[in-house]
Amino acid sequence: MYRQTGLRSATVLIILATMAVWTVYGSFYSREIVVEIAILAILAISLDIVAGYGGMVSLFHGALMGVSAYGYGVATVKYGVHPLPAAVVGVASAAVFGTIVGAITSKTAGIFFIMATLAFGQMAYTLIFQARWLGGDDGMAGLPRFDFSWLGVNMFNPQHFALYAIVLVALVYIAAALLMRSAFGRTLEGIHSNEPRMIALGVTTWIAKTRAFGTSALLAGVAGVLAAQHTQFISPELLHWTMSGEVLIIVILGGLGTLVGALVGAVIFVLLKHEVSAMTQHWHIVVGLVLIAVVLMGGRGVYGQIERWITGRKTPGVPDA
Amino acid sequence: MTGSGFWVLQFLNAMQFSMLLFLLSIGLTVIFGLLHFVNLAHGALYMMGAYLGVSLAAMTGSYWPAFFLAPVGVTLIGAVLYFTLIDRLRGAGPMNQVLVTFGLIFVFLDIVRMGWGDIARGIAVPQLLAGTTRLLGVDYPTYRLFIIVLGLIIMAALMIILTRTQIGAMIRASVENGPMASSMGINVGRLFFAVFCVGCALAGLAGVVAAPVFSATPGMGVAILIPALIVVVIGGLGSLQGAIVGSLIVGFLQTLGAAVFPQLAAVLVYALLALILVLRPQGLIPVRGGAH
Repeated sequence: MYRQTGLRSATVLIILATMAVWTVYGSFYSREIVVEIAILAILAISLDIVAGYGGMVSLFHGALMGVSAYGYGVATVKYGVHPLPAAVVGVASAAVFGTIVGAITSKTAGIFFIMATLAFGQMAYTLIFQARWLGGDDGMAGLPRFDFSWLGVNMFNPQHFALYAIVLVALVYIAAALLMRSAFGRTLEGIHSNEPRMIALGVTTWIAKTRAFGTSALLAGVAGVLAAQHTQFISPELLHWTMSGEVLIIVILGGLGTLVGALVGAVIFVLLKHEVSAMTQHWHIVVGLVLIAVVLMGGRGVYGQIERWITGRKTPGVPDA
Repeated sequence: MTGSGFWVLQFLNAMQFSMLLFLLSIGLTVIFGLLHFVNLAHGALYMMGAYLGVSLAAMTGSYWPAFFLAPVGVTLIGAVLYFTLIDRLRGAGPMNQVLVTFGLIFVFLDIVRMGWGDIARGIAVPQLLAGTTRLLGVDYPTYRLFIIVLGLIIMAALMIILTRTQIGAMIRASVENGPMASSMGINVGRLFFAVFCVGCALAGLAGVVAAPVFSATPGMGVAILIPALIVVVIGGLGSLQGAIVGSLIVGFLQTLGAAVFPQLAAVLVYALLALILVLRPQGLIPVRGGAH
């Protein structure tokens, strides 16, 4: 059962504060890294809700992020919608896509679920890749950022933009933690640990799972809009299965089913990626080997393992079903 | 081109794609049925088959050594994976298996990039099968006909082995109830390993056979894995007949779809998958004993 323990709050605060300090005193390069961490952290938190708490290991969260980014891109570039309502369009399109796929896959479990999400993610990728109207594999450029100049914030200042990204991570984390503490979160965990019993208790489990998926997709949509605003350019690469795989790896690496782990994983992953990429272009082999090692070592991830050492509390490893 | 010729051509293309899918999904599905093991790296083995084929053909200057040796090489890779990871993960639950084999996809992706580079590598079609053959009023590349015939021969051979021989009876018994088969004196562990090796060899064969037509690229493993997974889900996990029916359905839907409704083709197969998942999640031809 999810608890916002002191250790978790402290870890989140330390990470976000360190990122903020690094943003303020760091270089342009460090601000780019902070935004990259923020995007992946939001996406990983959204994945942890369904994978860590719901036991539904999704392999299409990259596609959810991409759909949101394209929703935002189409609204702003093609229809000239103001960025704020366009962001709502982006997030909503991810939520709708997630809810539909969630409903279709809600009656499947285990490996069927994984295969189905992988397939639907690739479907979205193929559709956007082939759509000439969306720029196909050339992507779409010229996406605007928000205008917060009335707040004294210049979104085209990398420092301001990175701080805005950190604030978004904090908001998403708080939303996810509140969600997991609510009846909705408890129901989801109940379904994960014993679905027949939840059915016996009168819960329509497929609807609960679908809602969880829709909610997770909504948060993934936030990551999508942030990613679109960050590079101001979107391409089908956002939806590719490798993106979904990387996010899953982040959650596993940090610690599945802890929410904080998603944040920890994103930090480790991005820093590792930049270190390894500086030495070799074969970054994926490192990703793959790290994933295999973490799973073989019990699947608790970095934060999960640390929490276990400190508190002696058992955090769930990778689910069996 | 005349109307009937167009359809003959599409039919042959669909058959050829179905046979490649069959070679791949049969390994995937039988390994799952027998070992209850989900091997997402199966597509990577297919890719390794193609690349080993490229190198072997380049070294020997002929296609045929590659044709016979690439599946052997892939089987060796599979055996190494079996003893280092897969055997260890047998009881670890499907999530761990999925994650580890997913990690392997990344590893193989970069191994291929390191060894052969990012560009597409082709193999010349063997002399014997070069050119076209006139069939039902159309000229069709002989090599592609060879793929169809090869697929049909392997399909028939597997059918006969599984339904008519003692080893087939042992495999079927182990799929349905492993512990019971084991207590009847079947060495289930050794059987598992043998079946796993055959699955790897067929994936490697599919790879080396596909290389002259599609070229070897680092993305080919995942590109074929997804339709193969759809075949397995549509047909029913663990079922040979399911793999046959599933490959034909997906192969024809994808090929004919691309010819008739180019805009919709990419979505048709996924729509079918969604339909199956909602209406018949156990697949069209599920095995008894419900491998879940």
